[in-house]
Amino acid sequence: MPAERAGYTVFMFLIDVSPSMGGIRTVEVETSTGQTQTVEMTHLEFGLQFVKLKIQEMIFNGRKTDRCGVIVFGSEDTRNVVNDENGAYENVTEYIPIAQPNAATIAKIDALAPSTVFGDPIDALIVGVETQSKYLVSKKSWTRRITLITDGESPIEVEDWELTVTKMDLLQIHLTVIGIDFDDEELPYMEPNKSNIKRTNEEFFKKLTSSMASATLGTCEHALQQAVRPDIKTVRSTLMATTLRLGNTADDGRSAEALEFSVKMSKCTSVARPKGWTKYTLRAYETSPDEMVVDSDESIYAPLKLRSEYYVDRNAANKNGEDEDGDADIKKEDDDVLLLDGISEDPKRKKIDTSEKIEKEELVRGFKYGTTYAPCPDGQFPKLTTHKGIDICGFFPRANFRRELSMGEIQYIWADPSSAQQQVALSSFVQAMEKKKVLAIARWVSRDGMDPKMGVLLPVAGDNVHYLLWGQMPFADDVRKYTFASLDTLINKKGEILTEHPYLPTSKQLDAMDDFVDSMDLMHAGPKDDNGYCGPWFETSLSYNPAIHRVKQAMFHCAIVNDIATHPLPPPHPELTQYFEPPEKLVKKAQAAIDACKLVFNAKEVPKRVARAKKDGHVHAHDDDDMLLLDRKRPAGATSYRADVGEAGPSENKDMMAEVPVDDSETEDDDDEEDLLSKKPSAPSSNSNKGPLPTPARSISPAMDPGRAPGRIVGNTYPLKDFQKNTAQVGKAVEDLAAVIAEVVMKPFASRRKQEMLECMVALRDTCLRENEIETWNSFIIGLKKKCISKVGNPEFWKAIQKFGRDLSLISAQEAERQGVESAVTENEAGEVSH
Amino acid sequence: MAPYDDWNKIDDEDDDELQDLSIFESKRDVILFCIDCSESMLKLYDDPKYEESVQTCHLYYALDAAMQLQKKKIIVGPNDAVGIILFNTTRQPDSSTKTQGSEIKRGTYLYQPIGPLCASTTRELVQLLDASFEDQGELRKEFPPLTGKSVPMGDVFTSCNWVLRDGAPKTATKRVFLITDEDNPHAGAGYRQLTTSARTTLIDLTQAGVTVEPFFINTEEKPFDITKFYSSVLVSDDLEDDNEQDDGSILPESISISRIEDLLSQMRIREVPKRSLFSIPFHLANGFTIGIKGYGLITEQKKGSYKYFVDLGDRMEVATVRTTYVDEDRQAEVDKTKIVYGADLGTSATADDDGNVEESSQNFSARGVKAGHRPFYTAEEIRSFRTLGLEPGIKLLGFKDLSELEFEDNIKHSHFIYPDEMSYSGSKRTFSALLKSMIKKKKIGLALVLTRRNATPMFCALLPQEETHDDSGWNDPAGIHLIPLPFADDMRAAPVDMAFKATDEDINAIACEWIGKLAIKNGSYPPDTYPNPALALHNEQLQASAFREEYDRSTFKDLTEPPVEAIHKRAGQLMKEWKRLLANDPSASIVIATTGSKRKADVSVDEAEIKSKHINGTLAKLRVDQLKEFLKSKGQSTLGKKDELLERVSGWLSTR
Repeated sequence: MPAERAGYTVFMFLIDVSPSMGGIRTVEVETSTGQTQTVEMTHLEFGLQFVKLKIQEMIFNGRKTDRCGVIVFGSEDTRNVVNDENGAYENVTEYIPIAQPNAATIAKIDALAPSTVFGDPIDALIVGVETQSKYLVSKKSWTRRITLITDGESPIEVEDWELTVTKMDLLQIHLTVIGIDFDDEELPYMEPNKSNIKRTNEEFFKKLTSSMASATLGTCEHALQQAVRPDIKTVRSTLMATTLRLGNTADDGRSAEALEFSVKMSKCTSVARPKGWTKYTLRAYETSPDEMVVDSDESIYAPLKLRSEYYVDRNAANKNGEDEDGDADIKKEDDDVLLLDGISEDPKRKKIDTSEKIEKEELVRGFKYGTTYAPCPDGQFPKLTTHKGIDICGFFPRANFRRELSMGEIQYIWADPSSAQQQVALSSFVQAMEKKKVLAIARWVSRDGMDPKMGVLLPVAGDNVHYLLWGQMPFADDVRKYTFASLDTLINKKGEILTEHPYLPTSKQLDAMDDFVDSMDLMHAGPKDDNGYCGPWFETSLSYNPAIHRVKQAMFHCAIVNDIATHPLPPPHPELTQYFEPPEKLVKKAQAAIDACKLVFNAKEVPKRVARAKKDGHVHAHDDDDMLLLDRKRPAGATSYRADVGEAGPSENKDMMAEVPVDDSETEDDDDEEDLLSKKPSAPSSNSNKGPLPTPARSISPAMDPGRAPGRIVGNTYPLKDFQKNTAQVGKAVEDLAAVIAEVVMKPFASRRKQEMLECMVALRDTCLRENEIETWNSFIIGLKKKCISKVGNPEFWKAIQKFGRDLSLISAQEAERQGVESAVTENEAGEVSH
Repeated sequence: MAPYDDWNKIDDEDDDELQDLSIFESKRDVILFCIDCSESMLKLYDDPKYEESVQTCHLYYALDAAMQLQKKKIIVGPNDAVGIILFNTTRQPDSSTKTQGSEIKRGTYLYQPIGPLCASTTRELVQLLDASFEDQGELRKEFPPLTGKSVPMGDVFTSCNWVLRDGAPKTATKRVFLITDEDNPHAGAGYRQLTTSARTTLIDLTQAGVTVEPFFINTEEKPFDITKFYSSVLVSDDLEDDNEQDDGSILPESISISRIEDLLSQMRIREVPKRSLFSIPFHLANGFTIGIKGYGLITEQKKGSYKYFVDLGDRMEVATVRTTYVDEDRQAEVDKTKIVYGADLGTSATADDDGNVEESSQNFSARGVKAGHRPFYTAEEIRSFRTLGLEPGIKLLGFKDLSELEFEDNIKHSHFIYPDEMSYSGSKRTFSALLKSMIKKKKIGLALVLTRRNATPMFCALLPQEETHDDSGWNDPAGIHLIPLPFADDMRAAPVDMAFKATDEDINAIACEWIGKLAIKNGSYPPDTYPNPALALHNEQLQASAFREEYDRSTFKDLTEPPVEAIHKRAGQLMKEWKRLLANDPSASIVIATTGSKRKADVSVDEAEIKSKHINGTLAKLRVDQLKEFLKSKGQSTLGKKDELLERVSGWLSTR
């Protein structure tokens, strides 16, 4: 049989949905931590796992030429191609027409349920063969596979089954029969109390499969185990034609004395990576009120797409200090700054943080040269002119090869398979290199105009074919030369060489290590071969990449189950982790040497040092101190404020405030406005800004956390947006925004958000005035003033407020009256505080 | 662009992990050149580099080296900053150009304040150097030396501290390159006191996170003796200050004492701050653990990728890219914390030819499950799938013979590990003993390695490296190379399993002969002699563009091109003879039958004939199959119509 090609296959799944498939079974599942838990499912669900795994594999591979169709038997109604034409073949339904599968296919299979009527597997088989043949009428060369899943509890009409076998063999169909709880000697499994009909049917399936040219019969459990085994996707490397040159082959006059081999390259190693995950999110219903019927019984997970947008911050001066604190903004050059210098600062542009979206079409490509911008509209400068091929630069002794320099994937270099003379030429070259024990230094250009790579060529004289291997070597630019202290030569301050030091191993220690190395030798620790000889333990050709196969297993698992909490991912296949521990026998034998080493070397973990308090901390420390001071000062005035609020504040406001977690429970803080202002900011700030540096610049990033402190509905990131969204809870929103403003203003870099904060304040005042939160506003503005003009405050911000004038002043009684509310502040006072 | 961010790249996107990156923040690097300006540094002498009586001085060399380094850094780390401070000079800061925040000590002069690298400051330095090349007195005029005495080193360190404090970003790695030829600055009275103050101020500097990298100039007339002064001042940055009980007896690892000519190459070695990529435990056996740090000594240095700029009228500004995840049907951005991960849903359902598109597409665009059920994984869960629950570390599995490490067992570059005494005490002695034992027994180690929490586990060969010393000042350090081994998944089968072999002894003997002629006896692959030509050309053009100069392409020399002249000279005749013998080999007449193909017409065509036809313009007389055969032999594409083939053949011929 010729080698099978991947894809070009139609799978037919014939699924038994007879009533007996509805029987409940308890399946033990193992979680990845090794615990077992039990899940109840029907026989049908159990069998469908296999179908879904197979279909998921097709989805995973994503080939257009992998197609599948599903036919169920035992269905209530009848709908199939044979019945349409000739009648009969009842209770067989073409459930999913043949197509390339996707997640919807799996969802549809999930919807299958046991029926109330029996169906005949042989009928289904004939329908399956017919359906497949019809589909493949013009695609004769495709592979045909049929998988039948049944519990064998339904009666089978076994007449003329040989005819069906002949037909299937003629079509070269590969048949797989998966039996639910069929006996399996290999597993081993014997079903107790097997019904007679099932026993007879199992016998029949055995007869059926053994009389076919290509058929297998297996119990479902075994099939499921096999399905999660790691398998290697064999990739056939393409042969890329190129030339191997030595000397000047281009020049007519010299080419007689130069060599040119016609060769083919193909990959020898190539890094395989785990397949990427697709990102999803649980759709929240409130985001789409227009959704017509929301089925609350369903959680919808929607796939996500990546979107890139370009932004420019017109205020470059601020942006520069993005990831540092203030002084990161390094001094500007005051001399002839190039026009293009990115850093050049234009004082006129000193505005608040404004980054705006730019369409990609408006952007120019270029490189950064320090802070200078070097335009380069093509995205690259003219490239080096190179000619495709491998040029040999010289040879050097193999013994001097430094293995650790090899920095990439290995390539084969074969002589042209269609030219005997080229093969002989390369063979002679390889043999001579072997004989001289040399490697060649070579420069490889994969295509005309491509950047060259340097590497070495290693001759390999195999039994049947002579070839070269290419390994990439670093350029001068690719090598880092770091200095490391000598491990042997320690020099003290007097310039003497030390012979004894805790860093230098003693002879006793050296001996212990020698024993350890000897006892941990893997050269004869591998499994016994046929001759009873033990070879080395660990072979690259048997070491599966655990990440690739584990990720694949997890992807398959989540595609076929609907809840990973109740159906946890089973542990990795043992073959994946076979090399994770040294061979047990070896370790046992080496234990004495290990213990000796532990004793003589006495390596101990050094307890982690407590990090020295960062200097930047002082900003916050001061902050807190100040807060405390304010707190202490307040109690006297607190009572009067309380009374005021009692009158003016709506009851809703009180309730909201009571919910705010405040650690200082001794004072009745629920309506002490002053307290709220001075203390609350400090509490959340210690939560949200534990890090040494606040990173206000990040607030422009939309992907980030809205920065809401616990209990708050207004976050530090988008205060105004949050506030406007939450105006329904006006009391809470007003209070939170006030706290946020106070917090932001007192942080370093506040100036960057000045404009934003002023906007917030205008909105806040407006709302306060309209919603009768005047007291909140007035006490907020008094508190803010105190903070701003305090020692560590933000006087600049206060000045900005003053400049704003009455639009941000205290709300006076007069003004309040116009809105039909009350204020305890007179018009004069209002003017006063602001100034 | 920051190509050397490639070495320390952050990968926040968990999926495209696996590249060899590190969790390192791409820190900025700040270098303050601290150059002695004393009489001896300014003393003129004949420059051996030039035949004419060109005189230079140490200071010129030091400034030149600083300039060269700036030029290099500006390309590899465009976000880095540098500054130059001079000491032992009477030059006073001009009040008009005062840019430094704080006063600095007398006798020191801040020539170039710490600032981001940019073309204009570098050019200024170039101009100064050019001027002093013309007029040897220029430097002395610019920076008049302090005569008769020298500035206390304590003051120098304090000035450095202030300059760095004012100019360098807090998170940057900060280094002072101290360049002097004076081994005993405080020979006179007050030696003890001045030494103590130098030591204390240096400790202050170290505590502020600054590393001092001394470059001492050694001349025949004035050999540099480190024990006179510096050995009692310099502190090892490895053993931190409070490690007094460890008798602090070891000198810092990075002291360079060299001839002035080697200054630049010495600086090049330290051009990039030594940063470890990972610091993880090395489990030799259960309960037998030491600490190591891993370094990337070999990584492909790529061209910087271009950035997008916006023309703001008065200047160009880099545009920042923001990526967000969007639920396309709702056009809603999704919070990163709310993202879950699953398998691809497969190709679009609308591509299906089943009539029920409506229903299937609705099912398809999203996945619905019973309320409260979750068929997807969290970020934490998928991370554990990749690591298989392992914690970062190196787990030794055993030892194998050195010969077991095959050439072809390679997929990516290696890492270098070195013991870390600060995480496990006793690491150095254990590591040292292990290294010696492996070298002695010609063994390699085999280990399971997880370098970082979001990396994938891999098997690595541990290749020991013995410490070597040579005179050039560069030593191979002691340590172990971690060589990642390919997994079964990474290996490709050999597609060719049979070929003709050369059996003629004469042919093979001649091949041996010409190989012998072209072999370097004690050579090895010399990375240093092959600078990446594509990268160099790119950088030169970038530099010219930044300096607004025309770039003259003809000045560029590709050092990786094979030495064809030497090859012809040494082995040309032998190769010619070898070719002649090969042509007479019986294999020349063997035609390999490709299965299933019909007997082919004779397509062989002499290359000389094609060339002459090309010159005469009669290429079109050749048949398509002949053209194809020729192209095939040159590794060119054979696709297309005759016209295209002709074009390709003539194109190929005219480029040669």
